[in-house]
Amino acid sequence: MITAIAYLLLTVLIYWGSKRLYQIKPIVLLSPLLVTPLILIFILVKADISYDAYNTGGKWLTNMVGPATVALAVPLYKNFNVLKQHAVKVIVGTLGGSVMGFLASLGIAHLLHLNSSLMSSLMLRSTTTAIAIVVSNQIGAISSITAVIVLITGLLGMTIGPLVIRTLRIRNDIAKGVLLGTSAHNAGTRKALDLSDVSGAIATISMILSAFLTLGIAPWLMTYL
Amino acid sequence: MSIKKFSIAVLQIGFLYAVYFIMDQAAQALHLPIPGSILGLVLIFILLQTGVIKLTWIERGSNWLLAEMLLFFIPAAAGIIKFKDLMMTNGWSILVVILVSTLIVMMTAGMLPLLFGRQKERNEG
Repeated sequence: MITAIAYLLLTVLIYWGSKRLYQIKPIVLLSPLLVTPLILIFILVKADISYDAYNTGGKWLTNMVGPATVALAVPLYKNFNVLKQHAVKVIVGTLGGSVMGFLASLGIAHLLHLNSSLMSSLMLRSTTTAIAIVVSNQIGAISSITAVIVLITGLLGMTIGPLVIRTLRIRNDIAKGVLLGTSAHNAGTRKALDLSDVSGAIATISMILSAFLTLGIAPWLMTYL
Repeated sequence: MSIKKFSIAVLQIGFLYAVYFIMDQAAQALHLPIPGSILGLVLIFILLQTGVIKLTWIERGSNWLLAEMLLFFIPAAAGIIKFKDLMMTNGWSILVVILVSTLIVMMTAGMLPLLFGRQKERNEG
């Protein structure tokens, strides 16, 4: 119990420190989401602590992703009127993005000769972890590997999302929200909230919508492979 | 932040956690393929829309949870060390698939709403 609390505090402390560092030098490579896990891994390896031991404390933080996702109801509620006006754009963007995502990941994974279990995990990449795990079990992917791939996608998506938005010169808050929510689930939605409240609310809807699309489309797609 | 404001935020977070926990248990008991967190999100949204609960009851706690959401991803991100072998053999391929397909999703999802918007405006104009 005491070691669990110590691991929890250690994580919060490193996170707080790397957030400070990022405020001083805001470059992508110093993003707290990259720096904190790397420092943690370094400490675990050097001090010869197993991840399972660390996770007795770490999992308390992981558990908070649940209520934080519930909390997305607030920006959604505040911006519901904007959302209603743009429902068609949001649905078309999310549907198109998700389907292209399924096909692209299957196609590229196939070209790189990855096995079908890994291919399935990669296809579930851009949906929220819990949905990805449920579908994993249905389509013969290994759920813990799916979880890691979903996570990498989230971290990568929230890091490159703003760069893609700049490169494509997207100035529309609706499009930014659809882009981040469809491509990078909770992490992308969190990033969208930084851009604007409207983008955050739209990203929330795209995230939910793409979760349901994954649930409906992915198992069906896999039966054809 | 005053102690009163802090306690209010903690209470609200407790409430949101309880909603998540109950919905998660319900989803498992009923074998629903939808995660408890998404069910909780939809439930709270409906309760706000219908006026059963007020925004002020959960706003402070929600803002705090959303602001610190990054912290909650960190232990899982460190968990990647458990897959050292997989990452050694297939790490680069996995990264390439994730990177390229994420870029494709972003381009499609980001550009489609714009195309659609323009089409509609043109029709209306």
